[in-house]
Amino acid sequence: MRATPAAYEELKSRADEVWARIASPSRTLIKVGVATCSRVVGAEETLAALRREVDAQRLEADVMVTGCLGLCYAEPLVEIIQPRGQAVLYQRVTADKVAALLSKTVASEGVAAEMALATTVGRGFGSVPSIESLEFMRGQVRRLMANCGVIDPGSIEHYVARGGYEGLIRTLRMKREDVIKEVQDSRLWGRGGAAFSTGLKWEFLFNAKRKPKYLICNADEGDPGSFVNRNLMESDPHLLVEGMIIGGFATDADVGYIYIRDEYPIPVERMTEAVEQAKQAGLVGRGILGADFNFELEVVRGAGSYVCGDETGLLSSLEDRRGMPKIKPPFPAQAGAFAMPSNINNVESYTNVPLIMRHGAQWWAAMGSEKHKGTKMFSLSGQIKRVGILEVPLGTPTSEVVMQMGGGPPEGRRLKGIQPGGPLSGVIPAGDVDIALEPDPYRERGVLMGSGGLVILDDSNCIVDLCIYFEWFAEDESCGRCTTCFAGTRRMLEILRRISSGRGRMADLELIKLLGRIAQNANCFHGQGAPTAVMSMFRFFEEELLEHVQRNRCPAKVCRGLVRYEVMHQSDLLPKAEAICPTNAVIRDNGSYRIDQAKCIKCDACREQAPYAIGVVDEFAGV
Amino acid sequence: LFSQASHNSRLEPVEPVAGSTEVIARISDLIADLRPDDVDLLAAFHRIQHEFGYVPREAVPLLAGKFETTPAIIFGTIDFYSEIRTTPPAETTIEWCSGPACLLKGSLNIRRVLEAILECEMNRVSADGRFGLRLVQCDGTCHLAPLVRHRGRYLGPLSVSESIEWARELTGERGNGKGEMGTVVSPEGEAVSSGSGEATDHGDKERAEE
Repeated sequence: MRATPAAYEELKSRADEVWARIASPSRTLIKVGVATCSRVVGAEETLAALRREVDAQRLEADVMVTGCLGLCYAEPLVEIIQPRGQAVLYQRVTADKVAALLSKTVASEGVAAEMALATTVGRGFGSVPSIESLEFMRGQVRRLMANCGVIDPGSIEHYVARGGYEGLIRTLRMKREDVIKEVQDSRLWGRGGAAFSTGLKWEFLFNAKRKPKYLICNADEGDPGSFVNRNLMESDPHLLVEGMIIGGFATDADVGYIYIRDEYPIPVERMTEAVEQAKQAGLVGRGILGADFNFELEVVRGAGSYVCGDETGLLSSLEDRRGMPKIKPPFPAQAGAFAMPSNINNVESYTNVPLIMRHGAQWWAAMGSEKHKGTKMFSLSGQIKRVGILEVPLGTPTSEVVMQMGGGPPEGRRLKGIQPGGPLSGVIPAGDVDIALEPDPYRERGVLMGSGGLVILDDSNCIVDLCIYFEWFAEDESCGRCTTCFAGTRRMLEILRRISSGRGRMADLELIKLLGRIAQNANCFHGQGAPTAVMSMFRFFEEELLEHVQRNRCPAKVCRGLVRYEVMHQSDLLPKAEAICPTNAVIRDNGSYRIDQAKCIKCDACREQAPYAIGVVDEFAGV
Repeated sequence: LFSQASHNSRLEPVEPVAGSTEVIARISDLIADLRPDDVDLLAAFHRIQHEFGYVPREAVPLLAGKFETTPAIIFGTIDFYSEIRTTPPAETTIEWCSGPACLLKGSLNIRRVLEAILECEMNRVSADGRFGLRLVQCDGTCHLAPLVRHRGRYLGPLSVSESIEWARELTGERGNGKGEMGTVVSPEGEAVSSGSGEATDHGDKERAEE
């Protein structure tokens, strides 16, 4: 066995020293989560206020930036670790609450119970539960997310001290074939949605003999409502860097690209910084850690295109042109980026590999279901109490994630359905909420589990309205190559809009199904997947669809062409409705109010102001 | 053979078209270190847009020369990406999230009132050039749904009434309601920090969040 290279030993001992001061601080340590979800509710202002106050009051405390725990609903989060006291996580700590928080905690060595969310070390106390016992956390298994919200994403030392790059060290002592075999033994499949074996893909690239070879990370995460990759890249960027280096070694690749969507500025920044740190540490570049292995790594920022999340669309984008998906074959392993052998995996596929190589395939595969091994990250959004990001073993019941961890729909509303993956994935109805979160049960229902987004619908939402969104999205993002896709989605959208405006006809239903079949002839999955949501509407929400077509009624009262606003009875609140109306459609005649239908844009503002006096009625009642 | 595989029409550098010599010089500087077939074109777009707020027409022939391809391919590529713009941004741009979480929580109502009050269609600039509405994709800040973004700030979750009052304040029209305008609201609906009272942009050019 070869000696562990000295460069890594040095880094490791420095890292241990740095981390010791974080893990068991000698004075109060304040961690502030700064990531996309917390920044938008003021985490940077909170951080600045904390630093200012700690300085001004000369408190014995250090302030540190960390990533995101995934509890978006409670941001900005601040963790205060007191060497002789509790470690407590505080929720919704905006800048204006900083002074009160510090005076109750650091200054007096106490706990600000009214702002506390949970304790992060040991058991809960009083009214403050332990973090593991929170409904959002119970049942989660955090492997990929182990460092999220714990370490400073800008510190390679933190990552190394917590076992980072151990998997790479072990990899570099092995033969390439054995690394690929270990990944295959784990039965890791691609987390981007296609669920194809990662190890097998690597074997294809390994077997390709032309050089240079490219290893590409698809961090385009374009599915609206999916934000799991974002969290990983901004909270633990080195995990992806290590996964890419291991992949580069196993497949004998020369260059790696991490293609991140333009909508993710913080991940771009933190991944770029992490790659730079890895270069400095001799983990990327020539002769990595003294081994006969060269691997360059570069972060590429996209420019706003959904189809660049298709693997061949991404390749086109790398090649200085329109990101249009290519026709396969040739497959990327034969002729990918710049017509050279290439491999493309999702962020979550690569980030599982360091864990497999660190702990072994057997350890890794111990979690998950019979058929699907490992854990998977999911993001929860839409009509749900707790919006956030979590990680569970594959095979966990969907209901556990949505109803328990996410808390289900808001009070008084009923679950209607769940849209997993993205706009091309379809919708499952509320009645199927108990199915296991793994690809097969979803596929049996004509739906794709996808890459990790779970968007929740409740009874205030209309399925036709949602399908219009999906078809609009598919049409808007179509690259324009295949007529079945760019024109098919356009026709589909026209028909759905007709239905939602009260001019639907029974023949439309057959036309939609026909377009759905035709779309299967599109070149890439964008066109093929475009009708999925509409097909699941036929399968699970047919009654609601027929109500639109046959009776010109929208049961949820969402479709604009099927409803109108009316003054139901006079009320003191109606002057406020008149004042808010952006188009002056609330009109007073002889002291009584009515709505001018010609001016009304059906924006709902008047009903917000006068909720009982103004009602939404069926435009075609009694038809 | 393979080095040419990405384009089927490699040309000699084309003559620069007429345009501002200053702009041409600046763009040439910005892209000086970039190379064809090295995943640099996207970086070129970002650098130019960061500098000018959009990609000026002078950039097209320069990029074609730099990347050894035709102006048509360069323009087609610019046109393909929704975050790369070929016209200067409006004085004030409001970004409206089109994502599913926002949709399910009523974002279309907000879109309607913004279009009505700002007198501006989506992805267009108002006739007086003051306001631009831009459709943006979900970036996973769904705890604020439905939301709009303005000068890098996120406003949400917004009720329709709040959107109306905020938009009226932007246009300088006095709001009739009493609500907190331009308020960042926590997921619980409680106001956590007000601001954006400075929402009337004093003519300072805002650049899309970089």
